[in-house]
Amino acid sequence: MANWVPLWLHRLGSPPVFYRFAGAVRPWALGLALVLGAVALYGGLFVAPADYQQGDAYRIIFLHVPSAWMSLFIYGAMTVAAFVGLVWRIKIAEVVAMESAPVGAAFTFITLVTGSLWGKPMWGTWWTWDARLTSELVLLFIYLGVIGLYHSFEDRRQGARAASFLVLVGAVNVPIVHFSVNWWNTLHQGSTVRLLGPSHIEASMLWPLLTMMAATKLYYIASLFARVRADLIASEGGKGWVRELLAGREGSGSDSA
Amino acid sequence: MTPGSMSAACAALLRRDLTLAWRRRGDIAMPVLYALIVATLFPFALGPEPTLLARIAGGVVFVTVLLAVLLSLDHLFRADIEDGSMEQLMLAPQPLALLVGMKILAHWITSSLPLIVVAPLLAGMLKLPTAATPVLVIALVLATPLLSLLGAVLVALTAGSRRSGMLLALMLLPLCVPVVIFAAGAVAAAQEGLPWIAPIAWLGAGLVMALVLAPLACAAALRIAMDT
Repeated sequence: MANWVPLWLHRLGSPPVFYRFAGAVRPWALGLALVLGAVALYGGLFVAPADYQQGDAYRIIFLHVPSAWMSLFIYGAMTVAAFVGLVWRIKIAEVVAMESAPVGAAFTFITLVTGSLWGKPMWGTWWTWDARLTSELVLLFIYLGVIGLYHSFEDRRQGARAASFLVLVGAVNVPIVHFSVNWWNTLHQGSTVRLLGPSHIEASMLWPLLTMMAATKLYYIASLFARVRADLIASEGGKGWVRELLAGREGSGSDSA
Repeated sequence: MTPGSMSAACAALLRRDLTLAWRRRGDIAMPVLYALIVATLFPFALGPEPTLLARIAGGVVFVTVLLAVLLSLDHLFRADIEDGSMEQLMLAPQPLALLVGMKILAHWITSSLPLIVVAPLLAGMLKLPTAATPVLVIALVLATPLLSLLGAVLVALTAGSRRSGMLLALMLLPLCVPVVIFAAGAVAAAQEGLPWIAPIAWLGAGLVMALVLAPLACAAALRIAMDT
């Protein structure tokens, strides 16, 4: 029957099951992310032709654009997890939401840094108060606020609930970041920004971009699962399954020694 | 008003909060003094050139007011949580969102209203053209309740944590960016003689939405923070 999917998802809400699942998935996700990332970098840096207008400087989009997509994608994933955690009080959802925030903040930071590195040769300035840049910067601040609020509580779960709430409040910024290019284009000239649109791009430039997008998604999964495993061990330290896990590890360690 | 009814409870809570604020009149003056001092620093830092000051006056007044509101927000719920009256409000038969809304209203009357009163003075010190002053006041009347409502939600979230001062700024200021953009945009448009009604309408729309949603969100956040 088809009801094994909800059943399996239900079981995944249990910390020991999720811990084992994440441990099984993580090496594959990380390995695939590294392979795809290498392929995408080769395709982007060596195979794709130089841009007729921007020369070789445009090649930073193979890092910049996937990071920008991830900064929004992770916020979306975090919002869903935070909502699930707040409504159904599922501990795993809270942990996933909270451990997504540092990964998302890192991608947002990479987006801002690569954007300014690209902006210097293209626009002649490291930083301009453009709607897209400022809304991305605001997104970084919201990520930092979530991380800060989570760590300011003595009790982990209470902090996770408060920070999940902040995630939901801050979600209003996501459409602003997403649509700011359209809104911005109506106000200012958009010739440089329009190159970001995948529809206006050559196929030989598009496939490394999409490959890199898949690589960053897999990297997010690998990184998130590693963080969630560490968080579960820390917060469930007194529970039986962690003791058994550690006892098993010590036992096997003494066996091999 | 029958005792125990919803309106009686709201009136009683409002009267209590205003009385408490009146007993500590010095605290009401603090945000105003703070805004005056911050606004005075700008001519010292940038030089007293009137054309430059006139151009930045609207933005400076809004940022100053935002910072002053931020400072006053921190103790919005603190005293009530420390002396246990917040638990009483939560146990009250009236909806918590409504009671929290009254507390936010009292906070706005005691901290933002004085700021709105001195704002024309600040703007005058910074050489804002007098034609733009009414727009500044209208924008402030719409923007400050919005800031109070938004801030109250975040203050409620930090109510259960140990340190909240700087954290509140980190959480609140990014969310206030649209408010500052629209409010300062309206003043800038009025200064240049352009139509300024559109940003004011956006502020009004935001305020209406916050009036409906923020007390509910604030009540939910308080329940999260107090549930230990």
